[in-house]
Amino acid sequence: MSAVGRLRPPPALVAIVFAVLVGGALVLVSGANPIQAYAAIVGGALAPDNLPNTLNWATPLVGMTLAAAIPLRGGMINLGGDGQMVVGGLVGATASLLLPAPGPLAATLALIAATVAGGLYAALAAWGQIRFAIPMLISSLLLSYTAVGIVSYLVRFPLRDTTTGLPQTALVPVAARLPTLVGPVNAGMLVIAAVAALVIVIDRRAVIGYELRMRGLNARFAGYGGVRLDQQALGAMFASGAIAGLVGAIVVLGGQFRFIDGALLTPAYTWSGLMAALLAGGEPVGAIAAGLFFAALQTGGFAMQRETSVPRVLTLVLQAIVILFLAMRHGLGKRSS
Amino acid sequence: MAIPELEAIGIVKRYGAVLANDHVDLSVDSGEIHAVMGENGAGKSTLMSILYGLQPPDEGRILLRGVEMRFGSALDAIAAGMGMVHQAFKLFASLTVWENIVFGAEPVRTVFTDRGKARREVAELAERHGLGVDPDAKVWALSVGVRQRVEILKALYRRARILILDEPTAVLTPQERDGLFAVMRRLAADGRTILFVTHKLNEVMAITDRVTVLRDAKVVARMKTRETTVGEIIRAMTGRNVDLQIERGAAAPGALKLEVEGLTIGSPGGRPLVDGAVFAVRAGEIVGLAGVAGNGQNELVEALVGLRRPDAGEVRIAGASVGEADVAGHRAAGLAYIPEDRASVGAALGADAADNFAMGFQRDPPLSRSGWLDPGAMAARARALIDKFGVRIASEHAPASSLSGGNLQKMVVARELSHAAPVLVAEQPTRGVDIGATEFIHGQLVAERDMGHAVLLVSAELSEILALSDRVLVMYEGRILADVPRAQASEEALGLLMAGRTAIS
Repeated sequence: MSAVGRLRPPPALVAIVFAVLVGGALVLVSGANPIQAYAAIVGGALAPDNLPNTLNWATPLVGMTLAAAIPLRGGMINLGGDGQMVVGGLVGATASLLLPAPGPLAATLALIAATVAGGLYAALAAWGQIRFAIPMLISSLLLSYTAVGIVSYLVRFPLRDTTTGLPQTALVPVAARLPTLVGPVNAGMLVIAAVAALVIVIDRRAVIGYELRMRGLNARFAGYGGVRLDQQALGAMFASGAIAGLVGAIVVLGGQFRFIDGALLTPAYTWSGLMAALLAGGEPVGAIAAGLFFAALQTGGFAMQRETSVPRVLTLVLQAIVILFLAMRHGLGKRSS
Repeated sequence: MAIPELEAIGIVKRYGAVLANDHVDLSVDSGEIHAVMGENGAGKSTLMSILYGLQPPDEGRILLRGVEMRFGSALDAIAAGMGMVHQAFKLFASLTVWENIVFGAEPVRTVFTDRGKARREVAELAERHGLGVDPDAKVWALSVGVRQRVEILKALYRRARILILDEPTAVLTPQERDGLFAVMRRLAADGRTILFVTHKLNEVMAITDRVTVLRDAKVVARMKTRETTVGEIIRAMTGRNVDLQIERGAAAPGALKLEVEGLTIGSPGGRPLVDGAVFAVRAGEIVGLAGVAGNGQNELVEALVGLRRPDAGEVRIAGASVGEADVAGHRAAGLAYIPEDRASVGAALGADAADNFAMGFQRDPPLSRSGWLDPGAMAARARALIDKFGVRIASEHAPASSLSGGNLQKMVVARELSHAAPVLVAEQPTRGVDIGATEFIHGQLVAERDMGHAVLLVSAELSEILALSDRVLVMYEGRILADVPRAQASEEALGLLMAGRTAIS
């Protein structure tokens, strides 16, 4: 059986080819040229001039992919990425504005504060599950709405930049902004890349990575073997929320330079990241690859919309077909085994 | 000779590259009790599911009284007079006995179930076959043995002429088992045919007329029970000689290693699941915990190993109180645990063997240092245990899901014994494990005892308890009913205690 399995192309590749074919047919039916549309997506994402845009889009998306992948590796789901991200974003903005430290130090401290804040906020959901048996799937999502609401209030009233009429904080001092590398890409990309490397190494080589993986495969086995499941849930959710908070602060300090109400949520990084993580079943390398693929697709979509008559919604259709196809295959495979 | 009641000719069934049935022939006469035996993975379940129409064979024919049948589903098989009693009963606990029996085949008056007629028919049927069951009892209130009768009645109500009983005695007390045998004999005398799937040799010798033995997907022997011996059947099943007698010297009990005092686990609104259990296990002895499944053994063991917090009472492992500790705390105090359910508790089937062998050892050298794993040490440890315990697996990097039931159990046993913990709790250590692996695991448990460790053996299998234990505790309705020295423990005495009767001993 394994010999047959080896001959088969990986399911993700099949899914992508299938999605490209269906998407192409859709474009054709709507009267446009699918080859032109795809060329625009590929060029828009990967041409040397456009690559920095893709990387800049990929930074928060891959960050949120990691945030989703960590709990998923242990069979848990964190649906509260949005809330943890805005908590991190606002804490990052406020810290960099208030800390009486020289710029780079203030930026570093702001990132750390955002990381801790996001982590603690996510750990709250785990605590609720351990102490009161509130399912984390629900509480993480509900806590997210709460956080988004409270942060929105704070940025509209106590923390609002009164010189503008908009719900946003004052501008972060120039010295405390993340240094630019090339085009829109800033040092935040390096931070996320380092986090990604750390997550992969821990997953493969650390005791806690092994224990989380075993929990994901069989939580009763892990508990029976002596893994402290409660502590582990707290730790995994803290790590997840910490990365989400870090992503929020990186977007604020690296691109928008102030916390703008709603600006972190519009691109739906949390949900793209969650889908990427789900596609790989929480396995970090696969999840990161899927996250990069979605980032390229979405960035290419903007270019396609500019250059052809095809709206960028097509990229969301492609993304949806890939996910549907893989999910379907997964479900069918499960039943037959 | 008359035409056989049921004939399977040249049945072949493949799952991918695995051959589950390889040209299997089976012939059963009317009124016969016919045993189908074989080790795990020999193809018994596949053959039964084909005969019962649950899946079609890839090749081969099924003849019923000389007529070729093609079952599209179990419904076709039932219509043709087949009945099956599964290991796990398929009953509605909240409905009455008669409702369960007529379900799906109700006598109808205009559009409504003819309740009076249904009740009457069920009562008559039960009477005719000597299956004492109250048609109006709710199924949830019935004991396991009676539920099994309901399952048999369900098949008879659908006019089954051939009954497939899949490991029917696994959940019964010896007395209930004898009752079932009486029912089986009466059914056979009535001209019905019974296919009896089992692991238990003494039951085959006691009740069957003929035996068909499967090994590695093929039929390797067909024997008349009267003309064969236990040894011959074992040889056919395993392909070698197996010594069922366990070599063990006298126990030399030492210090108290596992102490349980007043352990109580309540249940909301009912009598306690475990009711003030008091016992101890000493170093160098095997104490058997016998009881019919569902009398609190599972809950007691969960509390002993830290998977469940008791409502009252105290547990001490090697002298240290572990009442409030979690599993990690219990293990640190010196506990190893072979769980009842190796697939869903004792292993992560999706992980490779090295990962499975590492569980419980991952935080200490040599497998890890300051939080980082040493994959080389993990692989070496897995290889060593695979060799020592003779686990049949392609390599230490093969997934645990590639192991057969017996080998998976060997893996779990190997890992837990390698703790060399002072206390070992072994729960159903050989359930569903074939004879070869059973023999090996029993030997290991005795070796564990002889090394001076305390072993608590929890088993629903009286023969296993009697073969291994130095002392036997009997649990009934949450209470430890008796503590019987091995010399006074007989199958009859324990069987009565398991049914809750304390008159003797």
